[in-house]
Amino acid sequence: MADADSSGEQTGAVELVDVVKMFGDFTAVDRINLSVRPGEFISLLGPSGCGKTTTLRMLAGFEEPTSGELRISGQPIAGTPPHKRDVNTVFQAYALFPHMSVAENVAYGLRQKSVGKADMALRVAEALDMVKMRPLADRRPRQLSGGQQQRVALARALVNRPSLLLLDEPLGALDRKLREEMQIELKLLQSQLGITFIFVTHDQEEALSMSDRIAVMLDGRIEQLGDPYTIYEHPASAFVAGFIGQQNFFRGRALEGGAGIEANGSTLTSSRPADSLAVGSDALAAVRPEAISVSETDPGAAVNVLRGQLAGISHLGDVIQFVVSTGGGREILARLPRTKAPRLETGQTVWCSWAADHTYLFTAEQADLVLADPASDKAEVLAGN
Amino acid sequence: MTTDTVETADPGSAAPAPGKPAKRRRARSPKFLLAIPAWTWFILFFALPVGLVLLYSLGEQVSTFVQKPNVSPSVWSLDNFGKAFDPAYAPIFWRTLRISITGTFICLVISVPFAYWLATKVSPKWRGLLLGLVLVPFWTNFLVRTIGWQLILAPNGFVSQKLQDIGITSGDLALLYTQTGVQIGVVYNYLPLMILPLYVAFERIDPALTEASKDLGANRLKTFVQVTMPLAVPGAIAGMLLVFIPLMGDYITASLLGGAKGSMAGVLVAEQFLNTFNWSRGAAMAVIMIGFILAALAVFAGIGLVLRAIVRARRRVSLPEAVA
Repeated sequence: MADADSSGEQTGAVELVDVVKMFGDFTAVDRINLSVRPGEFISLLGPSGCGKTTTLRMLAGFEEPTSGELRISGQPIAGTPPHKRDVNTVFQAYALFPHMSVAENVAYGLRQKSVGKADMALRVAEALDMVKMRPLADRRPRQLSGGQQQRVALARALVNRPSLLLLDEPLGALDRKLREEMQIELKLLQSQLGITFIFVTHDQEEALSMSDRIAVMLDGRIEQLGDPYTIYEHPASAFVAGFIGQQNFFRGRALEGGAGIEANGSTLTSSRPADSLAVGSDALAAVRPEAISVSETDPGAAVNVLRGQLAGISHLGDVIQFVVSTGGGREILARLPRTKAPRLETGQTVWCSWAADHTYLFTAEQADLVLADPASDKAEVLAGN
Repeated sequence: MTTDTVETADPGSAAPAPGKPAKRRRARSPKFLLAIPAWTWFILFFALPVGLVLLYSLGEQVSTFVQKPNVSPSVWSLDNFGKAFDPAYAPIFWRTLRISITGTFICLVISVPFAYWLATKVSPKWRGLLLGLVLVPFWTNFLVRTIGWQLILAPNGFVSQKLQDIGITSGDLALLYTQTGVQIGVVYNYLPLMILPLYVAFERIDPALTEASKDLGANRLKTFVQVTMPLAVPGAIAGMLLVFIPLMGDYITASLLGGAKGSMAGVLVAEQFLNTFNWSRGAAMAVIMIGFILAALAVFAGIGLVLRAIVRARRRVSLPEAVA
């Protein structure tokens, strides 16, 4: 184990080179390359089974990669057991020791390093102050709420001052309000401490709100790596487009020069030409609900216009969501700020329109993945009406 | 419960109709009904017999040819207890305690690594089979199994012969009808009772806890000592009780493998009842054994509490005063 000083400014850097992890015949992680900068907050985002947790467990030392190389702070860590890695983990269900008090839980890592009593007490107190859990130091984990347990788990990991903190869906068990609070606190803590955070989640909002960069994963591979803005605005694949935020997908034939698609007799134009699309090839167009306007009259001048019947209206606070049926069982989801939304009634004929730069084009390769999503909000909205 | 909540309930659910509020629910049969079978059993087959034993222990033997003692209050005395404490019997009581404590301890030492291995290292596919193998001896009659050990421990038995053939021992095996023989027999007979609760205890520990321990810098041994074993203590206690208590009253193992040198209190009590027809003295001895068991458990509990206090004190973190 190298001491932290020799690696200097590399402390906290993480490098994954062609990392593969097989479980029997199943490839959980399929040649991942990832380079994390020291002090960066990076999220591994993806649906369950995409390999994000396996990647995390390899960094923690609970799994060894089948092939490829892992480096932490510049040092290869293959074969280094978990207890000798300068890495700490916040586990999904917190994994607090039930037979120890909050303070004893937090002190656990320091005790393993034989930190002196006085120093230990000081550091435990400091860590508990950091997560505002000092007053509950003598409680047992089972006497704490989920949010409190979460804070203790965080303190227990951070008290060791690791150069890398791994977080395995740590907010998954919390209710929405608490989760949003913890997101802010986590991000604040991370920027104060300057520790590299690798955060595993399947919740795109969580990833978007906290991360410096996001690695969107699918089937053991990284689909796209980028900052939240890029991931949201310039999705590299239909899957990424559909997984981050919501999309209306249209399937059709690509037009010349990748300027749009021809779908169900309508032409959908895009000012984001996809050169890779051959004319007439099977293609997907994606439009975000918030990019679509809904009007009672034909907007005329707009580039992309689709006519349909208003099938549903949902009030989502400051946003109103419309479901427009365009025939043949197809629905368009549109979201307008309350102030800009017209007063409409279900059943009336409406026009959906959007600008050309809001149409994203992709090959139809991942069509099955993005079109068949029974858990999408669309399905929920329809069921609700 | 108010009528309001009833009215807001889903009409299709089992909630009572509005207007017939929740009173009906309260009128259902009292909860203790569920415990009646257990209480009946407990009273008929535990409390009552123990009461009878206590009563007999106060009575007196009528003659060596009459089994039932005279238990009329006029003859009540503690004489039987005095007789039971006869110096001739004392070594047997002490031996019983020694064999039981040693046996419990040996069972624990054998079971902890095995149960841990079974619960954490063996794939779930094989666990059922191995657990079944642990229980296989229970499919055979206790008596037959113990007689089997007579053959194994016999001075002219095949084990003795083999050991001499390979040159490990030079003479006949001198284990049958000794205290060591009994010790081996009881460990064999009671081992599954220790393995099962320990296995359950280890199996119930969340693997994330041991991972968390390693993640925080503890190696495997430290993790076992600081996390796994403390969490398995309830299982260890259950196992120790399950082994120690019946072992203190063991009759079959001691009488078949113990002879005169390895006799235990259970054999002594049986003799009073079956050979000398002195039910009163036998009952007094049984009461003394109950006292022994309770005293031993109290001592164990005391030791356990002291150990726990020491562990907790060592683990304790006293934080500096919070700055207001």
